[in-house]
Amino acid sequence: MTTISETPRRVSGVVGQAVPNVEREAKTSGSSIYAGDVELPGLLHARILRSTHPHARIRNIDLSRLAGMPGVIGVVTAQDLPDRMYIHHGGPLSDRGVLASDVVRFVGEEIVGVAAETPAAADQALSCIVVDYEVLPSAVSVSEALGPEAPLIHSGGNVPVRHARRWGSVPAEQEAAVTVSGTYLFGRQTHACMETNTVTASWSSATGMLDVWISTQSPYLVRKELAHVLDLDVHHIRVHEVAVGGGFGSKSKISEYEAIACALSMKTGRPVRLALTREEEFTTAKCRHSFEINLETSATAEGMLVRRDASMTVDNGAYNHSGPSVMAYAGQVLGSLYRIPAVNVDAELVYTNKQPGGQFRGYGGPQAIFALESQMDEVADQLGIDRVDLRILNANLAGDTTLTGWRIDSARLVECLETARSAIGWQGRGAKAPEGRGIGFAASIHVSGANIYEGADKSSATVEVDTDGRVLLRFGAADAGTWQNTVVAQFVAHELGIEPDDVQLITMETDATPTELGSWSSRGTYMSGHSVGQTARDVAEELRLHGAAMLESPVDEVWLHAGVVTNGVTSVGFGVVVQERLGGSLVRTREITLTNVDQVNRETGISNLSGAYSFAVHAVEVSVDEGTGKVKVERYVAVHDSGQIVNPIAARSQVIGGVAMGIGYALSEELLYEGGMSMTRSYIQYPLPRAADLPEIEVIFVEGDDPNGPYGAKAIGEIVLIPPGAAIANAVADATGVRMRELPLTPDRVLAALHQRDRKPKRNYRIGQRPSRWQIAVMRAWYPRGLHQFLHKFGTRWGRPAQRAELLAVETPVDEAAASAALARPGARVIAGGTDLLPARRQGLVQPSVLVDIMTIPTVGRIEQSGSDVAVGAAVTLADLAIWSQDQLSVLHEAITAIATEQIRLMATVGGNLCQQNRCWFLRNDFMCYKRGGVSCPCYAVTGDHRYYHSVIDSHRCQSVTPSDLSTVLSALDATVEISGGDRKRSMKVVDFYTGPGEVRLGRGEYLRSVVIETDKFSGHDYRKLNRGHGDFAMISAAVSVATDMNGTVTDARVILGAMAPVPYRVHDAERLMVGRTVNAIDVAAAAEAWCRRAHPLERNEWKVQAGAELLQRSIAAALARTQSGGKP
Amino acid sequence: MKINGTHDDPVGIRADTRLLDYLRDQQGLRGTKEACGRGECGACTVLIDGRPVLSCITLAVRVDGDVETIEGVTAESAELRRQFAEHGAFQCGFCTPGQIVRGVALLRQGLPADDNALRAAISGNVCRCTGYSGIVSALRAAEENIAMADSGENS
Repeated sequence: MTTISETPRRVSGVVGQAVPNVEREAKTSGSSIYAGDVELPGLLHARILRSTHPHARIRNIDLSRLAGMPGVIGVVTAQDLPDRMYIHHGGPLSDRGVLASDVVRFVGEEIVGVAAETPAAADQALSCIVVDYEVLPSAVSVSEALGPEAPLIHSGGNVPVRHARRWGSVPAEQEAAVTVSGTYLFGRQTHACMETNTVTASWSSATGMLDVWISTQSPYLVRKELAHVLDLDVHHIRVHEVAVGGGFGSKSKISEYEAIACALSMKTGRPVRLALTREEEFTTAKCRHSFEINLETSATAEGMLVRRDASMTVDNGAYNHSGPSVMAYAGQVLGSLYRIPAVNVDAELVYTNKQPGGQFRGYGGPQAIFALESQMDEVADQLGIDRVDLRILNANLAGDTTLTGWRIDSARLVECLETARSAIGWQGRGAKAPEGRGIGFAASIHVSGANIYEGADKSSATVEVDTDGRVLLRFGAADAGTWQNTVVAQFVAHELGIEPDDVQLITMETDATPTELGSWSSRGTYMSGHSVGQTARDVAEELRLHGAAMLESPVDEVWLHAGVVTNGVTSVGFGVVVQERLGGSLVRTREITLTNVDQVNRETGISNLSGAYSFAVHAVEVSVDEGTGKVKVERYVAVHDSGQIVNPIAARSQVIGGVAMGIGYALSEELLYEGGMSMTRSYIQYPLPRAADLPEIEVIFVEGDDPNGPYGAKAIGEIVLIPPGAAIANAVADATGVRMRELPLTPDRVLAALHQRDRKPKRNYRIGQRPSRWQIAVMRAWYPRGLHQFLHKFGTRWGRPAQRAELLAVETPVDEAAASAALARPGARVIAGGTDLLPARRQGLVQPSVLVDIMTIPTVGRIEQSGSDVAVGAAVTLADLAIWSQDQLSVLHEAITAIATEQIRLMATVGGNLCQQNRCWFLRNDFMCYKRGGVSCPCYAVTGDHRYYHSVIDSHRCQSVTPSDLSTVLSALDATVEISGGDRKRSMKVVDFYTGPGEVRLGRGEYLRSVVIETDKFSGHDYRKLNRGHGDFAMISAAVSVATDMNGTVTDARVILGAMAPVPYRVHDAERLMVGRTVNAIDVAAAAEAWCRRAHPLERNEWKVQAGAELLQRSIAAALARTQSGGKP
Repeated sequence: MKINGTHDDPVGIRADTRLLDYLRDQQGLRGTKEACGRGECGACTVLIDGRPVLSCITLAVRVDGDVETIEGVTAESAELRRQFAEHGAFQCGFCTPGQIVRGVALLRQGLPADDNALRAAISGNVCRCTGYSGIVSALRAAEENIAMADSGENS
C-alpha cells in the first residue's frame, strides 16, 4: 500500500490535452460489445414476473402451468435462493431480498424469474404464472405513509432514518435583518440510460465459477453483492469487461435484477441473458428521490449569512438503497455552500409503496441547491443587494473548513460567479430585459469522490510493460460513458511519454485487475489520477533507472519518449529494457489511500468526505410565455472550477450533457404514478430534452490547481447537473416576479402561479345551468367519494381487454377491393406505417391476427392534384405530405412538421395519424380502464394526473382526447375523408369522422383511403401547438382557416381546437363571431374566449382552458392577418 | 431484401419478427441497438433505400429494399465518426450507431443550413449523455471536411 506522499504536478504532456476517445473506433462503428451483445452457446432469455400491486401479501405462487411448456427451461422464486438481503448500506438498513417471498411493496417488485429459449417463450411463461395476492392497504405518498391510518410498509415503521443536525452557532454580534422561508418540492427523475439494465450470466457447475457480463459502473461492488445474496465466495464470481451504455449513478451498485439471471443460470446450467425492457427500466430502476424541503435563511443587513434552518422529508420508495445516504448528503450540501455560522437540518426518510429511490448523479445536491439557491435570490432582493454580489460576499474560499467538516483546499467560486455574470451579460435587477425574459444564477459545491464506504478512499491499478514494449493498464473500474478509459490512458501515456492510443486497457475484469470500487460519486478521474498516475510514475521511474544504466547516462539525464528511454542521442526501447534488465515484463501494482479524508461520521454528519471539492456557477436566460406557461431556455452559460481539466473534450461533453439532464428535471422530467402504478414508462410520456429542446450551452472552465488533486484536477461528472433547477427557477422569477418552488416548472404550474400573481378570478363554468353536463358532473363528484375505489377494486374484475392473439400473417393486397376483402375477416387490421399499431400491440391495446398492408396498394399511396383539389392517399407518409405542402399549403406543412420526429414522419402515414388510438397514459400503461376493459372499469384520469393529455370540453366516461394533430388541421381546412369498403365507398368531413377519443367511423372491412382538401377554400390559415417537448403529442393545438371577400368581410371560417375534447373541437362560437364581419371589426379576444363557457375541465387541467384561449387568440389573429396579406405570413 | 449490399431472402420468418431482431439475432448485426422498443428514441435506426427507418417498429416480413445498418456505413461514415470523437459527440456510445446512421442519411442529402432545423432533424435520436452540442458540431465539421476533400479531389 502506498499513501500519497507527493501530489503530481501538472506538466506539459498528454494530461490536459484534447485527446479523442481511445475507444472511438469501436464505439462509433457499432462494434463495441455491450452486455446484451455477448453471445454464448445455449443462451437462454430471462424475464421477471413483477408485482401488480403496490402492497400485498403473496399467498401462493402457482407455477403448475409452466410444467412442460415448450421452451421454458428454468424458474426461480425466493424459495430457490439463500435467505439473504442485499447489503447496500448495511446493518439494519438492509431491507430488500432478491425476490419477494412474502410481501410485495411496490408495483414492479420482482417475484419470479423465468428462463426460456426465446424472449417470447419467457413472456408466454409469465402469463401462465398465477400469483394469489392478499391486497394490503398501501401508502403511495409521503403524506399517506405518515398519516395516522398508515399501513406499515416495513415492520420497523415507515421512517427508517431520521436525523437532526446542529452545526455551528450564530455569533452574538450577527443580527439577522432579513429572513426568508419557503417549501421546495422536487419531483422524481429517472436516469433513462440508453442501454437498459442488462446482464448475461453463465454458471459452470464443473468449475463452480459464475461468469457475468453486467452493464455496471462498479464491477467490484456488484460482485460483492452477488456473492452475498447467492452465498458464493467472491472469487467464484468473475465480472467481465463490456461496454456500458450509460450509468449516471444508476449502475453504481447492484440493480436488483442481476442476481435473478445468475440464479437462473445456476439452476439451469445454461447461460442466461436478462435485459430489462424500457418499461421495466422506467418503472423499477431506482430513481432520484423526491424531496420536500422547508428552508429558512437569515442574513444581516450587509448581506452576511447568519443561519439556515431546514427540515426535509424524503420519499424513499419501498426500500432503502441509497436513501439514507442521499438524504444525509443533501443536508451536508445545505451546511457547506457559502460561509455561514449556523445550519440546522432535520430530516426524515419515509417509505412509500412506490419504486425505490437510489443513487443518481448529484446525489441529493440538486434538491438541496434548488432550495438554497432560490433563497439566496430572495435574500438578495429583500436586502437590495445584487444577486451575484450577495453570493460573492458569502462565497467559500480556499482554506475554509465548512460546518460539515469539508476542508476546501481550492475554491474558485468567486471567479466562477464573476465569469458567469459577465458571460451572460447580467446588468443587475431592473436592467431593461426584453418582455418575458429573465436571467438566473445558481452556484454549487460537490465532492470529488465521497468516502462513504469501506475502501472508498482507496484505488488500485496495475501497469505492465512487456518485452515487446507494449504498455498495458489493468484498472477495475468501468467506463459507463464518462470517458474514464480515455482519461486513465492519458495518465499512463503522460507518465510514459507515449500516446493514449498506445495504452492497452483491461478494465472491469475482476480476475485480471486489482480492486477498484469504480466510477461513481465523481471519483473516477480523481481516484484514478492518483492510483493510475502513481503506478505509471513508478513504472516510468524504473524504466528510466534501467534505461539510464543501459545508456550509461545519469538517471536525471534520460527521459521517456514514444516507447523508448533516451538521452537525446541514443535510446533503447521499453521492450529491450525490460527484457535485458528484468528478464521479462515489468509489472507494478499500487494501491493508494487518500490521507486527507475522514471516515464518514453518520452521527454528526461532520467529516471531510472528499479529497477535493468542485464548484460551479450556472447562468441562464429563459423566456416565459405568460399566455401558455411554457418556459424556454434561451441561453445557458456553465462555469466550472474543477481544478485542472484533464481532457477538455470529455469535460465539455460532461458539462453540456449534465446541463441537458438538469434542464430536464427543471422543466419536464418527472415520474408520475396513480395508485402506485406508473404512467411514465416511455420517452414520450417522460419528455427528456431532445436536440431541438436545447440551446447551445456555453462552457467555461476557470482552471487552476487543486493542491491535493491528481495533476491539479477535481471532479466534474456530477456537479454539472446540480445548479440548473435553481438557476432556471431564479430566471423565471426574474422574468415574471413569481417565485416557483416546485420542480419541474411545467406549464400548468407556471400558469397557476401567474394567475395567483395577477389575482385573476376563477372561471365559472355554470355546470348547474347545463343539464347536458349533469351526469358527468355527478360522476366526477362521486369518483373521489368511493366510486373510483369501487370500480378499481371490483369493476376491473369484469374488465374485458383485447384477447391476446398471435400475429399470423401480413397480407399484401394488390388493390383496394382485395384490401377490403382481407379486412372483412375477423382479427384483421390495417397496417400502414406501423408506428402506432406496433407499440399499441405491445401495450395490449390491439391484438390483430392478420395485418393488411395498404402500403402496397398504389392508389392509396399517391397525392393527386386536380385544379385546387388535392386527394392525399392514406398511405402517403407524413414526410412526403410535408414536402408536397411546403409550397402548396403551408399551414399543413407547419402542422405536419410539428408532429413527432422526422424519423417517425418518414414512416407514419396520413391514414395512420388520423386513425391512431388515444394517447391517454393510463390506457397506454396497463391500467384496466374504461377504454381498455369496458364499462365496469373506472376512468383513471378523473382522479389521476390529467394535467396534459385529457379533455376540458365535452368528455363523457373516458376523459381522453383524439391525439391526431392532422385531425385538427384537416378539420380547419374542412377536408373530407374518403372511406373504402369493398364495392362501397363513402366520404365525410374530417371533423365528422370522429366519434370519440381516437375512435373513428370505420366499419368492418372499411379503411380510410384518402383525404381530399380544397386548397383554395380559405385564404388565411394558422396552426399552433403546445406540447411538453419536441416530438410529443399536443397538450393543446389550435387551427384556424378564414375566407374573406373583396371587402375584407369574413365569409367562412373554421376554428378548431385539438387535444381539448374527445374529438377535434369545432369552435362554432368563435366562427359565429367572425363570419359576416370585416377582419378589422372582429373582436379576436372575444372569439377566442367564446367557447370557454362550454368547458368542463377536470380539477387539474383547467389551465388548458386558459392556455387554449390564449393559443386560439393568437391563431385567429394570425389567420386574419394572413388573409389580409394574401395568405402570406 | 438486401442487407448491406448482400441479397437476403428471409424464408420462414415469423410475421411478428421485428427487423431489429432479425438483424441482431439472425444476421448477427449487433451494432443496431434497442433502447425503447417503441419507435421513440432512434437507437435502432437503419436505412431502407436510403430512408431512415426505426427497426424496432418495423416488421421484417414487410421489408423490401436495400437495408443498410451501421456495419454497412462504417466506411462511408469514417469522417463523421472521427468528428464524433473530436467533438465529444458520444459518451456511453449506445445511441451512437443510430446517430451515425441518421447522420449518414442527413449528410447524403445535405445538412439543413439552419442549426435549429438541424437540431430538429436529429431530434428523433435520443442521447442521454452529451446534450447534443457535440453531435451538431460533429455533423457540421464532417460535412465541411467532406466537401473540402471533394473539392480538393476535383481541383
